[in-house]
Amino acid sequence: MTHFSWALDGSIVGLYLVATMVAGIMVRKYVGKVEHFLIAGREMDVYLGIASLAATEFGIVTCMYAAQSGYQYGFTGAMPGILQAVAMLLIGLTGFCVKPLRESGVMTIPELFQKRFGSQIRWLAGVVIVLGGLLNMGVFLRVGGEFLVQVCGFSAGEAGGGLMGFLRTHYLEVTMSILLVMVAVYTILGGMLSVLVTDFLQFVVMSVGLIAVTLLILVNVGWGKLVTTVEEHCGTGGFNPFVHPELGWAWVVNQALLTIAATLTWQTTIQRLLAAKDTKTGRKIYTGTSFFFVCRWLIPALWGIAALAWLTPAVVAELPKAVQDKLAMNSINAMPVFLSQVVPSGLMGILFAAMLAADMSTDSSYMLTWGSVIYNDIMAPFHKRRWSERKGLLVNRFIVALIGIFLLFYGLWYPLPGNVWNYLVTTGTIYLASISVLLVACCYWKRANSWGAAGAIICGAIIPVAYLVLEQVWKVPKFDAAGQAVLDAAGQAVREGYLTQVIGPSWAGIGTFAIASAAMVAGSLLKPPPRTDPTPTDAG
Amino acid sequence: MDELTRIVREHWFWSGITAACVLWYSTVTVYVAIRGSFDIKHMLARLAKKSKEEE
Repeated sequence: MTHFSWALDGSIVGLYLVATMVAGIMVRKYVGKVEHFLIAGREMDVYLGIASLAATEFGIVTCMYAAQSGYQYGFTGAMPGILQAVAMLLIGLTGFCVKPLRESGVMTIPELFQKRFGSQIRWLAGVVIVLGGLLNMGVFLRVGGEFLVQVCGFSAGEAGGGLMGFLRTHYLEVTMSILLVMVAVYTILGGMLSVLVTDFLQFVVMSVGLIAVTLLILVNVGWGKLVTTVEEHCGTGGFNPFVHPELGWAWVVNQALLTIAATLTWQTTIQRLLAAKDTKTGRKIYTGTSFFFVCRWLIPALWGIAALAWLTPAVVAELPKAVQDKLAMNSINAMPVFLSQVVPSGLMGILFAAMLAADMSTDSSYMLTWGSVIYNDIMAPFHKRRWSERKGLLVNRFIVALIGIFLLFYGLWYPLPGNVWNYLVTTGTIYLASISVLLVACCYWKRANSWGAAGAIICGAIIPVAYLVLEQVWKVPKFDAAGQAVLDAAGQAVREGYLTQVIGPSWAGIGTFAIASAAMVAGSLLKPPPRTDPTPTDAG
Repeated sequence: MDELTRIVREHWFWSGITAACVLWYSTVTVYVAIRGSFDIKHMLARLAKKSKEEE
């Protein structure tokens, strides 16, 4: 049972979609050059930048993994948001790395690396950035679809013949495919300009939905109930990550490293800096957006905690069997199931539109930013000073379309990992560790060179990729705190990756940063200094 | 009421930061939205002007 009304809520969603498409397509006439398409002609000002960055960095996937963190870890689950807000504020205030990056006049980070480390490093950096980024965003579509389908209460119908039978059994895939095509249309036509204008609209809609649902939860569930639920389920660890049995120091340190690295090198964030009209504006966007990162984590975490408070065993027993199975399968489903039960009609339409807005702004921006690295860096050897603006625009549009097709297949068919945030962290680390080390060394260490850069990129990518692969192929039975094998609902032993038991994602992440840094230092010191021609002497 | 006071006192950090988030989304987003709309207008005007100059 859900409160989604096609007449009222469907109209709100329809109105939002039409407004977005019109706004996104209207600005295509301003796109005349590759620079307009990729970085909006460097004409973005502070408030548009803040709205765009806040909208881009809040997708349905963000809402889902932050809510899952709140559901599992209580308020501690929102800690990454606080760490990222501090990182954004400090980097914005000091200009650490972002000042030299923006002042260099480049369009992507690898382009900056070419100036210091050569074209091969630029190409290699582009490859790992795209690999990490695309694997990362691969889960966005399915997670987003799961949320929308569950909140609206759509359920798979009986399989039947013909088109209607297919639609009944593939409602998630069809819904998300239509959404992706809409996003692709305006992104392909208007590039960064369409992304900025639609981001702005999506920021407004998203903010209304987020605040309305949060107030509804605070009024209906109550602050006291939320806090006591965390006290009961998580104890002190629900408020303090350092004493949480599953998290602790290693988790906090890894999250801090990741958030600093993401603030410095995450392609969607950096593209706002590079699209800003000057360095000062770019830094103001960083400081102005910083607190949004607290909200980005804490608001969905509150929704997750509210789901934990509301979905008691007695309430779950009353839900349809299919919903109970979803809840038992993955804790990420708790928040949308909860919202589907408590959000009334009317507000449901606003929530649906807000989440569509969140997802569309993220998808469009991610497609464009990773496309920009493919064009500007990976394809650089093919088009350097040889392609016209017209051809460059055509190729960029083609790349965005290809990324959309990749998302459609990988995103809809890849099975969701148990903890989405851990998956995103591991795939993000493929490039976050190495590229952040390269950026710091490039800006502030005179001795850094191409050997160190290559070593950092290779070491920084190998560890997370090996971790991801071994997690899938090397599984062992899971044990609880008492040393007993954990069993699922069917009585079968639950299995987990061996590396999760012996190392865990946090130490793997910290190790990646440490090894990438060591490789940068060792490689740079090992490379012989460039030979200088002997200076002719008077005696010669 | 006593229970709520205890909760807010014991968990002042999370109580404060949650209140700040709600306040932030209710006020700052409105300000950003208004100023952002002017930014869009000016950005498109500058791009149109540049485009004319280049022609």
